[in-house]
Amino acid sequence: MNLFEKIFNYQVISRLDESGTFTLTSQERSWLKTMLGHPAAADAFPAETLEKLVTLLEQEETIEFSGLMEKAKSMEKQVYHPLLRTLRRILEKNQGIRITYCNKDGRINCDQSGFPYKLEYSMVKKEWYLLWYHRRHHLYMSTKLQNIESVHEESVPATLAEELTAKIEARLESRKEHAVIEVVRMYNRELSRILYAFSCFEKEVAYLDESDIYRIKVTYLGDEREYVLSKIRFLGKRVRVIEGEQLKQRMYESTAKALARYGVEQV
Amino acid sequence: MARESFDKEIQFLRMLVLTSGAYSRQQFAERLGISVHTFDKTIKRLKEIVHTVTEELPENQGKEFADMLRFSYYESSDPMLLFLYRAKSLKESESYRLSLILIALQEQSLTAAELMDVCSSGLPEDFPLPDEKTIRTDLKYLEEVGVIRRETGRRPYRYRMNNDLVTQLSEDELLDLYDFVDVMANTQVPSVQGYLLRDSLKKARKQKEDAQPIAEPFLYKYHYYSRILDEAHLYTLFQAIRERRKIWFVYFSPKSRTRYASKNTNPLFEREAAGKQELLLPLKVVYDHQYGRWYVLGNVPRLGIVKYRVEGLTQIEVGEAVSEEEFARKLQKLEESLRYSWLVDTGNPVKIKARFYHPEGAQTNFIKERVQLQGQWGTITEENENSFIYEITVNGTTEIKPWLRSFGSSCEVLEPSYLRREFIAEWKEIQSYYEPVREDL
Repeated sequence: MNLFEKIFNYQVISRLDESGTFTLTSQERSWLKTMLGHPAAADAFPAETLEKLVTLLEQEETIEFSGLMEKAKSMEKQVYHPLLRTLRRILEKNQGIRITYCNKDGRINCDQSGFPYKLEYSMVKKEWYLLWYHRRHHLYMSTKLQNIESVHEESVPATLAEELTAKIEARLESRKEHAVIEVVRMYNRELSRILYAFSCFEKEVAYLDESDIYRIKVTYLGDEREYVLSKIRFLGKRVRVIEGEQLKQRMYESTAKALARYGVEQV
Repeated sequence: MARESFDKEIQFLRMLVLTSGAYSRQQFAERLGISVHTFDKTIKRLKEIVHTVTEELPENQGKEFADMLRFSYYESSDPMLLFLYRAKSLKESESYRLSLILIALQEQSLTAAELMDVCSSGLPEDFPLPDEKTIRTDLKYLEEVGVIRRETGRRPYRYRMNNDLVTQLSEDELLDLYDFVDVMANTQVPSVQGYLLRDSLKKARKQKEDAQPIAEPFLYKYHYYSRILDEAHLYTLFQAIRERRKIWFVYFSPKSRTRYASKNTNPLFEREAAGKQELLLPLKVVYDHQYGRWYVLGNVPRLGIVKYRVEGLTQIEVGEAVSEEEFARKLQKLEESLRYSWLVDTGNPVKIKARFYHPEGAQTNFIKERVQLQGQWGTITEENENSFIYEITVNGTTEIKPWLRSFGSSCEVLEPSYLRREFIAEWKEIQSYYEPVREDL
């Protein structure tokens, strides 16, 4: 099996594109057949579609990932959620929702009017969330699909849909924060590992040639601050926040509280 | 002709993605172990590919390449790095011919002779006309990769597209399939074929729905993008493991300054390669979810178990096979050593005991949830209203340490005592980084 096939060549692909032609290779079908073996497949398709796919792929071989092992993987509690199919269709049509959901404190909110934005999977929590706009409260919401009791489509005129999307995007933009994280120079040898750890964020790296110092400017949404912090703590002494007052302060608090746990007196 | 290697492109893209714009041309080339001239040539080629496949030329024309690849979480769920797999070089006449054949077959099934006519009339004038043998070779290739199939029946054989998987589905079913592929490619490894399939299905949907722009409904929070680059080597490794074969490669440790050495055929340009030639019997391929990195683990005579990061492998060649008995013996030994590895550490097992504190005033116990989700085979042994105890036996403390530390003050290491002391020392040092903040308060 070769991932660099002639058929994947960019010139071939772009010529086929122009004429609306598409191709499917055996290795793509084999990958699909392998993935259909995952329990998530049962939530992803109605039974008859799944059966149809299995029949269509009968001739293909599954891929043998010989010797593959995954480490430090979170327990995979949810890959698919039954509501994904309903919600993605509403999103596709750019329509609104009526939603009944459970709050974090267990309170039930009945039949609220909203506008869905995206479905988001948290790779950390292994769960699906609906990102949506609460029309009466004018709030940008993130609700676990697990906590949705019921949801159905509510008609929204196209102009309003556009307006609401723009509103959500503006709100997301306004929530963006930056921080500058410096690699402590004596750990430059571990640069690769450090950059890997931050490679999941939107970032820019600056290298100060004369002092041989690396600075990583990370951009994230305000509610992801705690996650950024956990990454910084993850790397320990290797990195230091040099810009971003809130992060610096939280790091200081974190160390003081941690030391207190160990019974170390603060001066 | 030697098999085309994409080592240079892979190393190049990885460095570009990880260091996003940190280096000047000169610095970049130097660290990659190539000349500035090669740097310019490589970037030109990669840019051409990106522009061709993303059709984003007008918008991005003035943008810097690194900028274009900058991962922007809320803007796109298309993995930019996928274009690496579009990089196979092809003569222009061949890419033209293959496209013409496929475009014609999309309409109807045809024989080799009919396809020759299609090519003769469709190819630009300055291209050589293909002979029958060339067309047959093309058809054989396309059949081999599974893109077309030969219809049953008598000679002359007719060929048709092998797209039943899509054409037999209703629009609604295709939507479900597209979503499934999207979700699985984004949440499972290996994923490259899934992303390629996602691309194909996207085109199929576009075709069925009169080119309506399709909004991407899904976002995935926190992907390690460069894992896609490492997958380039996976199938060589899987194959070697399946066939019990050794592999040769030139290794560049991620800690060395250079990442690549060109394989020069002209001795005048030959220079000391910074990498090391290695021979390994591969046994396991490990994906580390903590950093999004791949490892290959195997056996080397006299050294025993050896681990390499896949990102450092270049010029891989599959070598001779070992006996089934030898492979099984070495695999068993490795599996035993890996039993308690948090990641890939095969050192001595040590029992770790830590107290985790419940979050104060929070509605959900997200600390416990996280420990249960990420704590691998560790167990929660005691629990009271403020905290719980987590215990785990792991090989060495090095690999689990960052995870424990990431909990900050919610985690207190109890045992072993040396680890407890290390944590105290580290927290003190980290605190010293932020001392001035305290004065401001």
